[in-house]
Amino acid sequence: MVDNMETKKILIPLLFIILAIFPPFFLSQYWLHVMIISLFYVMMASSWNLIAGYTGQVSFAHAAFSGVGAYVSGMLAVNLGTSPWLGILIGATVAALLGLGLGFLCIRMGGIYLSLTTLGFSEILRIIITNEDQWTRGTMGLQVPGFFVEYSKASYYYLFLIVAILFLILIYWIIHSEMGLSFRAVLNDELAASSSGIDTIRVRISAFTISSAMAGMAGGLYGHYLMLITPDIPSLGQMFLVLAMAVIGGMGSFIGPVVGAFGLEILSEYIRIYGEYHVLIFGLVALAVARFAPEGMVGIIKRRWKKGGFS
Amino acid sequence: MNPKLIEAKGITKSFGGLTAVKKVDFHLDKGEIVGLIGPNGAGKTTLFNLVSGVYPPDEGTILFNGIALSSLKPFEICRLGIGRTFQIVRPFLKMTCLENVLVGIIGRRSKEGNPKEKSEEAREHLKFVGMEGRETVLANDLTLNEKKRLEMARALATQPKVLLLDEVLAGLNPSEILQALELIETIRTKLKVTILWIEHVMGAIMKASDRIIVLDQGEKIREGKPEEIVSDPRVIEAYLGESDA
Amino acid sequence: MSEFLMYLTNGVVMGVINAISAIGVSLIVGIMKVVNFAHGELYIFAGYFSYHLSVSLGLSPLLAMPLSVFFIFLLGILMERTLIRPTYGDEMYSLIITFVLSIVLQNAALLIFGPYPNKPPNLLSGATNIFGLFHYGNQRLLSFGLSICILLSIFYLIKKTWFGKSVRAISQDRGMASLVGVNHLKINMVSFGLGAALAGTAGVLIAPIFPVTPTGSSAISLTAFVVVVLGGMGSLKGCVIGGLVLGILENMGAAYISTMYRHIFGFIILILVLVFRPWGLFGQKA
Repeated sequence: MVDNMETKKILIPLLFIILAIFPPFFLSQYWLHVMIISLFYVMMASSWNLIAGYTGQVSFAHAAFSGVGAYVSGMLAVNLGTSPWLGILIGATVAALLGLGLGFLCIRMGGIYLSLTTLGFSEILRIIITNEDQWTRGTMGLQVPGFFVEYSKASYYYLFLIVAILFLILIYWIIHSEMGLSFRAVLNDELAASSSGIDTIRVRISAFTISSAMAGMAGGLYGHYLMLITPDIPSLGQMFLVLAMAVIGGMGSFIGPVVGAFGLEILSEYIRIYGEYHVLIFGLVALAVARFAPEGMVGIIKRRWKKGGFS
Repeated sequence: MNPKLIEAKGITKSFGGLTAVKKVDFHLDKGEIVGLIGPNGAGKTTLFNLVSGVYPPDEGTILFNGIALSSLKPFEICRLGIGRTFQIVRPFLKMTCLENVLVGIIGRRSKEGNPKEKSEEAREHLKFVGMEGRETVLANDLTLNEKKRLEMARALATQPKVLLLDEVLAGLNPSEILQALELIETIRTKLKVTILWIEHVMGAIMKASDRIIVLDQGEKIREGKPEEIVSDPRVIEAYLGESDA
Repeated sequence: MSEFLMYLTNGVVMGVINAISAIGVSLIVGIMKVVNFAHGELYIFAGYFSYHLSVSLGLSPLLAMPLSVFFIFLLGILMERTLIRPTYGDEMYSLIITFVLSIVLQNAALLIFGPYPNKPPNLLSGATNIFGLFHYGNQRLLSFGLSICILLSIFYLIKKTWFGKSVRAISQDRGMASLVGVNHLKINMVSFGLGAALAGTAGVLIAPIFPVTPTGSSAISLTAFVVVVLGGMGSLKGCVIGGLVLGILENMGAAYISTMYRHIFGFIILILVLVFRPWGLFGQKA
C-alpha cells in the first residue's frame, strides 16, 4: 500500500517532466514564449509561496528581488562584459544579501512590519532604477546579451524548464526537511512553536533569504531571455501577478503556485485580445478566492476528489 | 548546591492599567508536583507566561537552576528545560501527530540522531501518552482529550526538566481525568520531570499535588499542603467571592 | 531666506495632511490589526470624486469635498463588511486582501478616471503675505487651517466621546472591551469607514494643491505607513509629530537635495526607525 504511494510520488512528476520535453517540437514560437514566461512565473510563485504559504509572511518585495537579480546581472554584462551565466549567480547572491538585511531589520517586529518594509523597498527600488538612468537606462530599458550565442527559443525553454524543476525540487526538499517542519510549525502556531524550542525569528529570516535568492535568480534568467531589462520587472504590478498566481493556484500547497502560474499566464494571453484587463480580472478572482476558498484551485480540486470517493 | 529548580521573587506584571501579577514569590523543588490554584483572573496563566518567556516581568526575577529567565525568549527557555502546555490547547493543527512531536524534538537542536531515530523517538513519546497508532492523523482531526495528550507528548519531546501544565483536565470526563492523573504521576516518577500545574478540578489537583500555591487577584495568598489549603478560610473566601460575581 | 521659509511651510502643510492620512491607517491597525494597503487608492479616489463633483457636476467645492469624503466612508464600510470581516484573526489574509484590493482599485481608477491628474478648483485663490517674509498660496493656507480643525476634531472624538473610548479600549484589549459591552463588530465597521474617510479627507485637501494620479497611490500609502511607524503604532500624537517630521524632511530634501528622490527620505527614516527604535517615537515597547 505504502509502496504504491511512494512510487506514485515519483512517477507522476517524472511523467510531467517527460511530457515537458516535447513542447518545442510542436508549439509555435509565440506559444513557446508563453511557456517560457510561465516557467518564470512558476519560479517566482513557488518561491514566494515558500515564505507566504509555508511561513505566513507576506512579502511585497519578491518582484523587487527579481529586479535586483536582473539589473545586477544585466549591468555586469553591459559594463564589465560578465557572462550572463555568472551574472545571474551574482545577481541571486546580491538579492539574497538584501533579503537577509531586510529580514534582520523587520522580521523581529512582526508580519505587518515585514509587509510595510518590503512594500517600501519595492517602491524605492523602482524609483532608484527609474532615476539612475545613466546606469539602468531607466524606462527605456537596459539591453543585455542573452545566454546563447545563437538565439533559439527552444534552448531558452529547456534552460527555464531545468531551472524551474531544480527550484521545485529544492522547495520540496526544504518543505520535507527539518527546516520545513519548523517553517510549518511557525506557520501553524508561532507561540506554540517558540515554546517547543523553535527559534521562530531565525526560521523566518532563513526562509526569507532563501526565497529572495530564488527570486533574484529567476529575475536574472528572465532579463537575459528578454534581453531587455525594464523597471517593469521589479514593479508592484509584477508582484501582484506573482501573488495572484500563488493565491489562486493555492497557497501552502506545493503545486498550487505551478498551477496558478501556468493558468494565469495562459489566461492573460487570451484576455489581452480584448485589452489590458487581466490585472483587474485576476484581482477580482484573487479576492474571491482569498475570501471564499483560501486553499485555492488546488484546494477546490482536492475537495472534489475526496467527495468522489477517492481518498 | 541549590536544590530549588525554579526560584521566583517579587514577580510583577501589569497590562495597561491592570496588574495581573503582584509581587509573587514562589519556588519549585526538584521532583515536586506543585498545584497552582485560584479563581478566574487570579493571574495563574500570566505567571506561566512569565516563566515560559511569553513576556518579561515588569519587576522581579525568575531563576531556573540559577539562570535568570527574564530576558530570554520562549525558545531559549524551552531549550533550557522548561516545557509547557496551553490553557486553550495549541497543537499544530495542519500537521500530523508524528510531525507535532517531531517539532519538539527538532527544537532541542541536538547534533545527534538521524531522521529515522528522531521519528522513532517521536513514536515513543506518542506511545507514552497513549497515542500509539495515531501517528499519521492530522492534529485537527483529534478529539479534545487526544489533542491535550498530543500537546503533552510534544512538550515531553523537548526533554524538559520542568513541565508547566495549564488546565490539562478541563473538558475531560471522569475516566479521562483518571488516565491523565496517572500519566502525570508517571511523568514525575519515570521521566523525573518536576511539574507545576494549574487546575480547576479541585479534587484532582488536591489529590495529586505535593504542595499547593493559591493566587487571588494577582497575589499569592496561601501556600501549603493540600489538606491545609482545603480548609483555609481565606482560600474559601477567594473562591466564594468569585461565585458571587 | 524666504525660499527656505516657503519650503518649511510647505513641509508643515504637507505634514498635517500626512498626519490626517496616517491617522486613517493607524486607526484601522490599532483596532483591527489590519493594514489597509488600499489607503492610497481611497485617497486618490476622493481627489477624483472631488474634481468630478465640482467640475463635471458643477457643485461648489464646499459641497464636493465633504460629499467625496462621505462616499469614501461608505466605500470603506462596504470593504469592511464584504472583504475584511471574514479574515479576522488571520493577519496574513487581511494583508493579501487589502493589497489585492489596492491593485484592483488602482486599475479601476486608471480605467475610470484615466492616468492624468485632475485638479479640482481652488476654494481660495491668490496669496497672502506671511509676516512680511514671503508670499504663500491661500488655498494652501486654507488646507492647513482645515487640517488643524480636523485634527482637533479627531482628538476630541478619540479622547472625549464614547466612540473614541471604545476605540481605545478595543485597541488595548479586545477581550476585555467586549466584556464591558463594546460591540466590536459595529465599532470595527465604523472604524474602517472612518479610516477610509480620513484617507479621503487628506485626498480632498491635497487635490487642489498637488493633483493626484492613480500611479501615485502606492507612494501615498507608503508615506502614511512610514508616518505610523515613525510615530509609533497606535499613537495619535505620534501621527501628528511623525507627519510633520516627514513632511518637512521630504520637502526640504526635495528642495535642497533632489526632487526625484523625495520619497527615499521616508524610506530612510523607516530603516532608521526599525534599526534604532522599532516601536517608534511614541509607540508601546511590547
